[in-house]
Amino acid sequence: MAREAMSLSRPTRRHVVSAVAAGALAMPFVRGARAAEVLYVNTWGGPWEEAARAILFNPFTEATGIEIRTIAPVSFAKLAAQVRTNVYEFDVTTLGVAELGRANQANLIDKYDESKIAPSSLWPGAVTLNGVSSHAFANIIAWRKDKLADGPQTWADFWDTRKYPGPRSLQNYPARVLAFALMADGVEPAKLFPYDLDRAFKSLDRIKKDVRIWWSQSPQSQQLLRDGEVSLIGMWNTSAQVMIDQKLPIALTFNQAVIDVAAWVVARGTPRAKNAWRFIEFAVAPERLAQFALRNNYGPMNPASFKGLSADVVSRMPTSPENLPKAAILDAEKLAPQLAAMAKRFEQWLSS
Amino acid sequence: MALQLTDTTAPATAAPRRVPGGWTWLVRAPFILYAPAALFLAVFFLVPLGLVVWTSISEPELGLGNYAEFFASTYDLGVLARTFRTALIVTLVSLVFAYPVAYVAARKGGTIGAFLLGVVALSFWTSFLVRTYAWMVIMGARGPVVGLLVALGVEPAPQLLFTTFAATFAMAHMLVPFMVLALYAVMRRIDETHMRAAASLGARPWRAFATVYLPQSLPGVLNGATLVFITCLGFYVTPTLIGSPQDKMIAGRIGQEMEQLLEFGAASATSMILLAAALALFALYDRFFGIERMWR
Repeated sequence: MAREAMSLSRPTRRHVVSAVAAGALAMPFVRGARAAEVLYVNTWGGPWEEAARAILFNPFTEATGIEIRTIAPVSFAKLAAQVRTNVYEFDVTTLGVAELGRANQANLIDKYDESKIAPSSLWPGAVTLNGVSSHAFANIIAWRKDKLADGPQTWADFWDTRKYPGPRSLQNYPARVLAFALMADGVEPAKLFPYDLDRAFKSLDRIKKDVRIWWSQSPQSQQLLRDGEVSLIGMWNTSAQVMIDQKLPIALTFNQAVIDVAAWVVARGTPRAKNAWRFIEFAVAPERLAQFALRNNYGPMNPASFKGLSADVVSRMPTSPENLPKAAILDAEKLAPQLAAMAKRFEQWLSS
Repeated sequence: MALQLTDTTAPATAAPRRVPGGWTWLVRAPFILYAPAALFLAVFFLVPLGLVVWTSISEPELGLGNYAEFFASTYDLGVLARTFRTALIVTLVSLVFAYPVAYVAARKGGTIGAFLLGVVALSFWTSFLVRTYAWMVIMGARGPVVGLLVALGVEPAPQLLFTTFAATFAMAHMLVPFMVLALYAVMRRIDETHMRAAASLGARPWRAFATVYLPQSLPGVLNGATLVFITCLGFYVTPTLIGSPQDKMIAGRIGQEMEQLLEFGAASATSMILLAAALALFALYDRFFGIERMWR
């Protein structure tokens, strides 16, 4: 085959030489142009990245010509290291409420102003602490139906080891766990912030010996419940829903859920900041965000995203009109001054 | 330098050896030969280490604040003490498991020895993370160990996973290969005739082992123990994933200082303290046994 093709149109030596030369001359320009049009996005990997690639990244590349490359997993420390070293592995990432507060304190993210994204493309309250709210996920109570016929409905139930016996697990993440502890002690969701740390830790003392493991990665939380290592767990609605969809004997409640919001942020000082803000504007557009949230059981933060979603789908989202009133939303601004002290105290409490 | 070279390497009768073709500078300045290695070490080890030292004394402000804070904190000191205690226990446990394996491999040799070493090497080549997850399955609530205990009528079913026992056992398993290889290297060179001589002089096997074999194998025990102990000081994944929440070791503490608290200065100081502790151990070893014996 190859030989035939060659004999059909024999390239002369001159053709070859000039083609190679042209290619070599053009190379730096081609590569330069490409390098200017790349955006590096920090992702959670796995199904999250698949969904983001299909719904956010590829359409963005089609619309703008800017290629998106991904770096996983999400690392807060790396964000800090990048700003210190001026070497940028990623330009855009998502942060939860607590990290958003810390990132602002440590001056790690690019400041938002109206020149970055026109307010007309956003909605009231879209920007908090220089992050653009994207999607909400809930820290909920999930349990094994084969161990507990009717599961706990409140954090006070979760704390009640006599009524709901069995090993438990919570996330190794003080900003969320302290909210559980306060609600278990009778604090109303609306009055959580700022946290009463002494009261929260006293409440935690009561559950400590029954928490067998403090999980840190979401697959770990799934494994704990799937393998029956624990009977009840405080975990993300997104990863619990996956197991419910797999018909495992697992149930969850949105009662007293603690809602955390993921916000898109731009690493401070990155040379690709302009395209980074362009990407964020693109990613929170109502319909695109709706699709992305739908794939992951997130609640979209853009109110316009709910249009066109079916009632059944919306009922599984933590920010649906039905679920939201039962929940507490982490308050980034009120928590920010407490975060450092909270993290240290929790760490010491955990290993004592 | 050149004079010494002729003295020691050239035959007494020969004239000072001439290096052909203008390469004499190589003989005069042998450091050029090891310059690439030295440069590599400097660029990839010394400079980064220097940067860590610098971070530890310059953030958040210049001074020894991070170190003072570490030694003033009963929590941090507790983590350090626990790290050393865990490393000691793990070393002893892995020695107990490794010694018989190395002993049989060294004395039997042949197919059995090769088989044993092959099994050890297989484990050696599997990543720590994979082995950690394997232990999670084995010790899990639905794993074979708990299943067997329940079948034997142990009530209520014991919880193995997320205990100090589980973490210690798993870490010992990961470090047994290091211990076996260190022991084997020494045992292989113990002269078999010594044992036969002991037997011919009337020593029972156990006595022969205790008075003849064991003392000769002690350098291997020391090498292996030092290697295992120091490796264990830096364990991170295994105690985090398998141990109880109270089992945090110092590497986990460093990770938390970086990942969650963003205290790069404190994390660097903790790293340096860990490094200093490990170096102190090496120094002790060197003082009593001589460090060069470790590589022989």
